[in-house]
Formats: sequence, C-alpha cells, structure tokens
Amino acid sequence: MKELRFAQNFSLIALNAQDSLHLTTTKKVSLRCMAAAAILEIYLDNGFSRTGEILSFTKQDLGHSSMPSYQEKVLKTLLGKKEVISGTLSHYLTKVLRLSKGHLKEMEQAFAASLEEAQAIEEIPALLGCDLEFVTAGISMKEYRSHPELYTRLIESLRAEILEEGTMTDEAILMLWLLRESSCLYDLFSREELKRVAVQIQQLLEDSALAKQILPITIHKFIETAYKNFLKIKRDVMSTPTGSGLNFIFPVLERSQSIFIETEEIFPNKKDRLRDLKVRIEEKGHDFTVIREGEVPLVKIDNVLYEAVPSATPYYQVAVHGVRLRKYPLSL
Amino acid sequence: MSRQRSMEKILASEFVSIGELVRLTGSRYSTLKFYTEEGMLPFVQEHENLTRRFPRVEAIAKLNEIKELKQQGLSIPEIKARMGA
Repeated sequence: MKELRFAQNFSLIALNAQDSLHLTTTKKVSLRCMAAAAILEIYLDNGFSRTGEILSFTKQDLGHSSMPSYQEKVLKTLLGKKEVISGTLSHYLTKVLRLSKGHLKEMEQAFAASLEEAQAIEEIPALLGCDLEFVTAGISMKEYRSHPELYTRLIESLRAEILEEGTMTDEAILMLWLLRESSCLYDLFSREELKRVAVQIQQLLEDSALAKQILPITIHKFIETAYKNFLKIKRDVMSTPTGSGLNFIFPVLERSQSIFIETEEIFPNKKDRLRDLKVRIEEKGHDFTVIREGEVPLVKIDNVLYEAVPSATPYYQVAVHGVRLRKYPLSL
Repeated sequence: MSRQRSMEKILASEFVSIGELVRLTGSRYSTLKFYTEEGMLPFVQEHENLTRRFPRVEAIAKLNEIKELKQQGLSIPEIKARMGA
C-alpha cells in the first residue's frame, strides 16, 4: 500500500468514526485541523517561498501536477481572489478559523477522495444507527471508517514517538499539536499517559524551535464546545504555559457519543448480553472484537475501544435492558 | 529539523526506533515496550538522549518468534525461557 502523506495521516485519525453525511461540530473542528495539516505539509515540503519568517504563496504556484488535490483546495480557499498571500506560519494556521461551512464541505470531499483513492478510508453505516432510539426511528446514518491496519500502525507509532524518551521528529511535533487542537489526543492516550504528554510538551517548548513556534497557537473555537463556560473558569484558574492543568485533563471537545443497545432478553446474563451486542453490531456491518470479557466487557468496534456497561433505559414507561457503550482510550 | 524517515529508508537501516518498529511490524507500542522491558527484544541505548535503537532484522525476527510461540499457546514466562532471555 502507498505511504500516506502527513495531512492524509492526520485525516485518517480525524475522520475516523465521524458522521460522513452531516457537518457536525466535531467534524467542523476536524476539518479545520485537516486544513491546518495541509498547510503544515506544504511547510514541511518547503512549498512556500520564504523571506525570513514570512511565507508566501502565489496563484501561479497552484495547479502543479504533483500537488495533491486537497492541498490545492486549501490553498485556493486561502487565496480567495488574491494573487498572492504572505504571512507567518501562525498567520496561515489561524486563517482556518475563518473557513465557511461551504469551504469545509469542499475540503472534506477533497480529503475523503484522496483517502478513498488510497483505500485508506471507507463509508459504513454509523454505529449510532445501532442505538435503540435510532433503530426505532428507522434513521440510517453513515460514518467514515479508517483502514484498521493503517490506523493502528499510525496511532501506535505516534504513541511510541510521543511517549518515548528522545528526540521527536518534526512530523510528530506537528501531529501532537493537531491532535491537541482537534481533541483527538483524548482518544489516543489514557489520563495517566496525558501527564507524560504534558511533560513532553513542556520539554519540547524548551528544546525545539518548531515546537516553540507551533504549540502556543490555538485554532479551536471555544464557542463550539459543550464545556465552553465551564472550561473558561477552569482555564483562568489552572492555565499554564503548556495549556495543561484541568484544560489538559478534560477534553476541550467531547467527541464520544452515548450509544444504547438493547438486548433480546430482559435480564440477560453477561454471556447473552455480549452475544446480543455482537449480533446487533455485526448485522449493521461493523467489525466487532472482544478484547476482555467480564461484567463490563471491553470490546473493539471498528477502530474504537468501548466498555459495554450493562444498563437500562426508560422507554414509554418500560425499562429496556441493554448495554451502553462507553468510549475507552486506545492506550490498552 | 528532524524529519520522519520514509518506509524505504527505514527498511534500509540497520537500527530503528521503537516507533519505526511499530510501523514495520504493526505491533502495539505497549506490547513492544513490555517485550523490551522483559528483555525479550534486543536494543542498544545511546547515552546522550537515552533513545533506544533496535537492530531491525534481529528485532523483527524475535517478534515473529514471539508471535509464533504465543500462537502455540505459550505464556510469556515460557516464551522467555524458550528464547533464553
């Protein structure tokens, strides 16, 4: 399989398990970060003309046959009607905050097409479609699923590079920043590991010129977050130069979904419950693997780990028994 | 600037990092870390920045051996004893 480029690698993480039909809040954040990843990819490949810290790009530079379509789409959007754009890297990156819904949709198509061409991503029925409410309402939804092997290799090598002692590559530093800005960091690292990540960020800010340039930049919109006001208070109290503290422990953006799947029997035992869950998930076209059995089994559905917590939910005054899927960090 | 190496370059190298070993084998980072701590994977450690470097060919051969022994149903202590680690 062809090796993916930097922005494609980030998109593989950012788009995995995202609604492919609607422009959700989490997808908007992912798409902005994917646009930033495309800018960083051009920066890494020396695609900008440089005069000191100022990077320039002209309309004539567009349309090279070697330029991936998603890069072209991002640059065209940034250029707009201008013939040339100039600014620092920070200036380019913060421009993604002003991308309209229309632009974000066009970018999604360009990124998804390039990943589909590389057979790195596919569209499948969404896991949320297995939820009791959605099944009952007959709503079908679709989501992206990254190629499982590519996805595992990518996130595991990133985890290795970020958590290990030693020098981090430029790609890993930039990926760390993108993961932080897109709130994907919380999918990849456990809470314990996040403490190590915070130390690593602090170290990078002391040692790496690239990290000093990149890590202070923020491209997420707090207005889009469910915890906006809550975090604002916490940030004032706990802010540190690295953005750690409570801000680092609690995700800026909650990416997980609450999914309830009912079981066939009213009081199922743990084996029946797991069997029913497997049947329901697999009949909707998802990959299902049991990682750990027990009262609260750990299962892998597509590329995401979940704890299947026994639960009951009221439905027209009747308690429906089943399991609620609780997202688990991929740090097992 | 310290750039990530392409797969072509990694495959031509004598030594690789743990992240590169993950990319080559598709194994989980925590698994490789565990095998390393248990002395089941060979590595050299540079003094300056403490980065562990793994001899590519030897480390991949050891990993394949561990996978095969695990498939035969051996436990980690048994695998260690078999490999003489």
